[in-house]
Amino acid sequence: MPTLDDERFEVYLKQFRPVVPEPLPTVEPGHRTRRTFVLGAWAVAAAAILVIGALTLHIRTNGHTHRALVAETAGNPERLQDSRPLTMRSANALMARAPSFKSMVDDMAFRSQTVPLPKGKRSAVAALSKEKIKL
Amino acid sequence: MHRTGGNTTEVEFLYRQHGPALLLFAQAITGERSRAQDAVHQVFLKLIEKRSLSQVADKKAYLFACVRNAALNEGKIQDRTKPLDPDAAWFSPPDRDYAGEQNLRCALGALPEDQRQVMVLHVWGELTFAQISVLLDLSSNTVASRYRYALVKLRDAMFAKENSCANS
Repeated sequence: MPTLDDERFEVYLKQFRPVVPEPLPTVEPGHRTRRTFVLGAWAVAAAAILVIGALTLHIRTNGHTHRALVAETAGNPERLQDSRPLTMRSANALMARAPSFKSMVDDMAFRSQTVPLPKGKRSAVAALSKEKIKL
Repeated sequence: MHRTGGNTTEVEFLYRQHGPALLLFAQAITGERSRAQDAVHQVFLKLIEKRSLSQVADKKAYLFACVRNAALNEGKIQDRTKPLDPDAAWFSPPDRDYAGEQNLRCALGALPEDQRQVMVLHVWGELTFAQISVLLDLSSNTVASRYRYALVKLRDAMFAKENSCANS
C-alpha cells in the first residue's frame, strides 16, 4: 500500500470511529419522581379497594345476620327479637310465655349473641349451661 | 420539567456527542476498556449531580480534561505499567476492516503515551492544538511537534511495517 501524505492519512484515520461507550448508569430524578408518584397512586388505589371491600363485607354481614335473626325469631315465638332492647315489659312478657324460669333466663342471657349457629350445631356456652353441676 | 432536567439533557447530549472520543482518550491513558469506561462514567455522573456545566466556556475541552484527570487518578490507584488491552476493540472499522482496526490499535499502543494522547485528542477528539496545549499544560509548539512525530510513527507502523502487530 502506498504511503499517504499527512492530510490523507488523517482522513484515513478518521474513518475508524471510536466505539460507543456504554449508556450512563443513571436514573433521571424526573423518572424517579414519576415512578414514586405512580407507586403512590397504586398504593392509594389498593387501600381504597380494601376499605370499600371491608365496608361492603361489613354491611352484608350485618344485613345477613339481621335477616337471619328476624327469620329465627319468627319461627320461635318464645324468643324475643334480639334487635329490640331488653326492657321490664319485654322481660315480663317473656316470663309469661316461657315454659320455665330457666329458659327465660337463658333467653335473656344470650340476647347478645347476634350470629346464629347452623342447624345441628350447639354452642359451647349452651351445652355448658345445660349441665347439672352439683355445688 | 424537574429542576435538573435541563442540565441532565445537556449532559446526555454531550455524552452522545463526545462519549466515543472520550472513551478512546481514556483508553489511550489507562490501556483498559473497563477502567476507561469507569473514568468516563464518573465524569458524566458528577456533571449530572453537580450541575456545574453551565459556567464552562469550552465544554468539549473541559470534558477531555475531566476524563484525563479521572483516568490518571484511576491509574494512580491501580497499576499503570500494565500494557494496553490487546483484545478490546477501540474502533468501529470502516468496511469491517478488523485487521486494519487491530493494526491501528497496535500502532497507537506502540506510541509513547504523551504522543498517543495528542494524536487521539487531535484526530478523534477534534481538538485544536491550542485546546490541547491548554488541556495538557504544554506550549502549542510542543503539541504540534508531538503530533507530527506521532503521525510519522503511526504511518510507519501501519504501512511500512504492516501486519507486524498481527504477526507478533
